[in-house]
Amino acid sequence: MLLPWEYGVRNLARRPVRTALTLVALATVVMLVFVVVGFIRGLEKSLAVSGDPQVVLVYSVNAEQNIENSSIAARTPDLLTASLDGVQKRFGVTHVSPEMYLGTRIKTRDGDAGLGLVRGVTRTAPLVRRGVKIVAGSWPGPGQVLVGRLAYAKLGSRSESLTIGQTVEFEGKTWTISGLFVAGGAAYESEIWCNLAEFQTATKRQDISLAAILMAPGASASRVQLFCKERTDLELRAIVETDYYAALQQHYKPVRLLAWFVVVLVSSAGIFAGLNMMYGAVAGRVREIATLQAIGFRRRAVLLSLVQEGLLLSAAASLLSGFIALVLLNGMAVRFTMGAFTLRIDSVAILVGCGVGLALGILGALPPALKALRASVAISLKAV
Amino acid sequence: MTLVELNHVSKSFSKGDETITPLDDVSLQIDAGEFVSLMGPSGTGKSTLLNLVSGIDRPDSGTIHVDGTEITGLSRSKLADWRAANLGYIFQTHNLIPVLTAYENVELPTLLLPLSSAQRRDRVQLALEAVGLVDRAEHYPRQLSGGQEQRVGIARAIVAHPKVVVADEPTGSLDTETSQQIQVLLQRLNQELNITLLMVTHDADVAAIASRQLLLDHGRFLESNGAPQSDNNKASLSS
Ligand SMILES: Nc1ncnc2c1ncn2[C@@H]1O[C@H](COP(=O)(O)OP(=O)(O)O)[C@@H](O)[C@H]1O
Ligand SMILES: [Mg+2]
Repeated sequence: MLLPWEYGVRNLARRPVRTALTLVALATVVMLVFVVVGFIRGLEKSLAVSGDPQVVLVYSVNAEQNIENSSIAARTPDLLTASLDGVQKRFGVTHVSPEMYLGTRIKTRDGDAGLGLVRGVTRTAPLVRRGVKIVAGSWPGPGQVLVGRLAYAKLGSRSESLTIGQTVEFEGKTWTISGLFVAGGAAYESEIWCNLAEFQTATKRQDISLAAILMAPGASASRVQLFCKERTDLELRAIVETDYYAALQQHYKPVRLLAWFVVVLVSSAGIFAGLNMMYGAVAGRVREIATLQAIGFRRRAVLLSLVQEGLLLSAAASLLSGFIALVLLNGMAVRFTMGAFTLRIDSVAILVGCGVGLALGILGALPPALKALRASVAISLKAV
Repeated sequence: MTLVELNHVSKSFSKGDETITPLDDVSLQIDAGEFVSLMGPSGTGKSTLLNLVSGIDRPDSGTIHVDGTEITGLSRSKLADWRAANLGYIFQTHNLIPVLTAYENVELPTLLLPLSSAQRRDRVQLALEAVGLVDRAEHYPRQLSGGQEQRVGIARAIVAHPKVVVADEPTGSLDTETSQQIQVLLQRLNQELNITLLMVTHDADVAAIASRQLLLDHGRFLESNGAPQSDNNKASLSS
């Protein structure tokens, strides 16, 4: 038989200041766990949704994995269109998007300046990049740019400085924002898009970085890959977009591992908060715990009651942090090398955060409870 | 009918190098319905004896039977269950749980018994009536006087209808007047509810309320005067 639930609850109120401090400490630990797991989940999600299995990226073999370093001839897209079967084609438009992709310094009108990602594109870009949706304004005309939802975060600026009608400066030219786009959390959301020809002029370049090809339903990417292999003179490489981002996932694996390691470290530190409180709580209750045993409560019942006490407090801390995390952290933009993404407090993050919270309560309560229960009842009854 | 029976029980403690033997081959029989007081100088092993009878501690040798059950042979968790159903313990310092009300404190032992919540309520009600504290049921221990706290402690000890109730200096930390009230109460519990009581005290006046008085000295019992006892109820001086 167990001790009444009220026993655990009221014991928490017995030393309100200590309980409150422990609650704050535990909630802080759980919050840190939410931040880190939210970061990991956001990064993973951003990379996972970025790839489209129907899209093949064609870029220079010399660029290794990094498309930013790629340079291919501007005529490549036409060559691909002419040579390949299986490329999606509707209403006479072949779905091949020539793109120039560049990390460059961008200045907003407010004077904020940061390294941004600019993609010079043509009208075919939204046909190939199917996730992209213009949510406000319109496709950029001359001297205009289309801004991704998280471009401001990548620049380290505020979202207000990248609204329609505002101007930004890059590559020695002032551009006016004509519209905003989203891409379902994909990496492009942190980019700024402009007209390819204009971008080439501004950068004094004639080449492009890559061609993105949308394959027709059922058509295999291996045709493109075969073409690139056979035409060694073109020095091209083709990769399915999902594979490209899967490789990036691998690339960020150490970062994710480090983040999980931080979760473990922070949690272990949190155990001390729980331990400290429960040792204090149990130390002042030696005779009481012996009395309960003298009445006939088994040691296991007393143990469970003490664990329940710790658990109750840590559950409250988890709930508190979970609520704050969902309201404040979820969707918060984070700047990262590959672009920007948002913290994601999803079910996994909630599960890990609350799991850590509850574990802190249990692990904090167990050692002091076991210590108290190991003592002889006869001796403990004499304790002051 | 013999309710409690100690046979050649010994218990010693080692403190560093020296060994103290508060109980040295003692035997004792207590009948159902008896009120036995146990006196003796401090440190003679009175509390130790109560702890053995209540299964909180174990003897080094000898056996203890309560109502036919050899409690010296029970495991620790079985002993806990046995205490819940068969034993009431009244502490000198009452040992109420501070976060529980008088009612909840008295209710605690009943939670360990197979009772319906209605039966449980009745039991607690009766126990509180027996100690005259029905109107203090919702008070927390800190809102009660020392005497009231001890009465709650007594109600808690009798609520499960135990076979035997042990009391370790139940009046030890009370003033004379309050102590007298508690003495009257204990006597009534014994006479009206027929509760078997084993009470330790160092106060001869308190000991006098018992139907039989024992003196523990140098690990042995001495029967002191008291109500006439039949031969087989006497503490035997084993030699
Ligand atoms: N758990 C223990 N460990 C060591 N010594 C003990 C223990 N319990 C009691 N003693 C010793 O045994 C003797 C009897 O103790 P106790 O039964 O408490 O005496 P009292 O008659 O005053 O109640 C004392 O000398 C006490 O110090
Ligand atoms: Mg004593």
